[in-house]
Amino acid sequence: MIPVEDIRARAKDLLQSGKVRAVLGYRRSTAGLLAEPAFMTTADETAALVLDPTCVGNLALYLVNEKKRMKHARQSDKRPLGIVAKGCDSRAITVLLQENHIRRDEVIVLGVSCETGGMIDTRKLNKALRGKGATSAHFEGEGGVRVSYVGGGTILPGKDVLADRCLECAKSYPLDADFFFGEKVDERPYGPRFAAVSAIAEKGSEERSAFWDAHFERCIRCYACRAVCPMCYCDECVVDSTNFIVGPTTSADEKADRVRWINRSATPSENAMYHMVRAMHLAGRCIDCGECERVCPVNIPLRLLNTMLEREALEMFQYTPGIDAEQPSLISSFRDGDPNDFVR
Amino acid sequence: MEAILKRNRLGQWITELQERAEIYAPDFVEDTWEFAKVGRGATVELNHSNTVRPAKRFVFPQREVLYRFRIENSQSPKLTDTEPKVESTVVFGVRPCDGRAMVRNDRVFTCGFSDPYYQARHDNVVFVGLACNAPPSQNCFCVSVGGSPHSEDGLDVLMTELDGRYHVKALTDKGSDIVRSAGDLFQDVKAADMDDVGNAHAIALEYSQRSISSMEAVAAALRRNFDSPIWDKLARACIGCGACTYLCPSCHCFDINDEVTNKSPLTGARVRTWDNCQFPDFTMHSSGHNPREDTGARLRQRICHKLLYFVETHNMQQCTGCGRCITHCPVGIDIVKIANVMEEGVWQ
Repeated sequence: MIPVEDIRARAKDLLQSGKVRAVLGYRRSTAGLLAEPAFMTTADETAALVLDPTCVGNLALYLVNEKKRMKHARQSDKRPLGIVAKGCDSRAITVLLQENHIRRDEVIVLGVSCETGGMIDTRKLNKALRGKGATSAHFEGEGGVRVSYVGGGTILPGKDVLADRCLECAKSYPLDADFFFGEKVDERPYGPRFAAVSAIAEKGSEERSAFWDAHFERCIRCYACRAVCPMCYCDECVVDSTNFIVGPTTSADEKADRVRWINRSATPSENAMYHMVRAMHLAGRCIDCGECERVCPVNIPLRLLNTMLEREALEMFQYTPGIDAEQPSLISSFRDGDPNDFVR
Repeated sequence: MEAILKRNRLGQWITELQERAEIYAPDFVEDTWEFAKVGRGATVELNHSNTVRPAKRFVFPQREVLYRFRIENSQSPKLTDTEPKVESTVVFGVRPCDGRAMVRNDRVFTCGFSDPYYQARHDNVVFVGLACNAPPSQNCFCVSVGGSPHSEDGLDVLMTELDGRYHVKALTDKGSDIVRSAGDLFQDVKAADMDDVGNAHAIALEYSQRSISSMEAVAAALRRNFDSPIWDKLARACIGCGACTYLCPSCHCFDINDEVTNKSPLTGARVRTWDNCQFPDFTMHSSGHNPREDTGARLRQRICHKLLYFVETHNMQQCTGCGRCITHCPVGIDIVKIANVMEEGVWQ
């Protein structure tokens, strides 16, 4: 278990010494159980920093969003950003480095290990508590989570309440951190890698097709899955009804003739197209932070799509994204020994 | 018109109504509550917390075809009318916050100019409300915005669950009609029933909800702080998705696009879809200029529309306090917190 005071002290020191322009961490939220992102710019604010199984969000997203924001900012503070990163979050940072989207000196990583724990899945927790709303959740020894609710509390086994991605996590600590907190634990008491996707992948194509049709029909195209994904950093997206190349000099004909690959209508075929395009663009890039699935308001199991492609990348190319910033990314590299003719 | 319906007769009422209407009720789909079509003989429990998606789609669907077009050999376009022919629909289990939102949607779509698509759907749907007896969800705040757990606004019928029975109050002609049509299932209301209704409603009001202390002060603060840097701070974590407004029972902005299905002859449909003030292309000008170019300006638009602009135009908050935008925000952006921060001016 990581003493949160240690992280607060480090964040405070970084801000006081002026080494960073802000620290991205977690704080309690008025909206519910899950911690919310905190942008701390003064040493005082670090007192509110928390670290527990409710810190589910992947803050690497904000490295991408800040880069966009700084492009338009009148004054640019070139100092790096401090960021609290779990194992999965740090893999996202590494992918951004592999793709040259950010530079290593733009970020100071406060790496935290999940050890034998992980992050809460609120849907599982609500089920386990049978509707009693949880007010707090903390790690409790070997794979357990201590949960409080109004009028009581209980200790639940991690496997009942942790997110699927945490149960299947291959590396529960950051490989690349400037400051490291916690223990590096490689033996975790949970299920095998790719358990959830393997269960669905075994089914026949008709059954899988019906499964996804039913889910995509319910999609409202709020794009929360896209917006929360640190890897979805394109300035232009195929699903947007206008794109950002439109400027004062764009002619009316050009605007009228712009290609709309996917209609705005949230109909089953358009929705399926959107999700397929997104999944394909994440092949060999997704590091399984599970955020797309968490934020979906209608509970579409989006993580399955991405882990399927993650499994393909591993089985076909022995490639795991986010392990080494120096390693070329899967889709921008080739091997001389590749068995396919078109590569040579 | 008021009547008593025994709990075990609800199914029979629904079966009788199915003879003449499509029935929708909350169903637990993929671990979430959704309005779903009730099949013949299916059981309806009405023990749901609020649905993830609001009831607005019954009058304002996410996609509405406005008309179809066909252009042949450079002739003038032929247009085909597609005004919806709507099946009679009865929606059970509508919570009072969604009912009150319907009043707001009516203001937008039927006052001054009546939108024929909206109106056609509205004429054919009956909203059967269910008073909230159970303790509120963690982000409910209907009382702060002038509502209540048993508000009748915008509903055709309000049901209140009592011990083993429902008090059923018809509020409109459409509502009276569906009660009267199954008259023999209902019993007369006795004085003791009215006492129970009063008690249930009083208990519901005693549960503590999240609260905003003064809506007038919030509106004034929003007016004062249009240019405040607080908006950038409040929206710092915003990821720019559209969950808050697509799940809102009273958000009504839409976009219109032509969906071409064939190039020669040119055929297709003009389609109205929900739009979303949190998206970068919302009200973006054709010049490329964007009047709301960052998340701060977009959050300000959403909050001010709910709690200031609508008040100025229609003399009521547009927000009805369902709390969906708070519960489903991926990063905890909270309209109640924002309203209170604004009113108290704590950031200054």
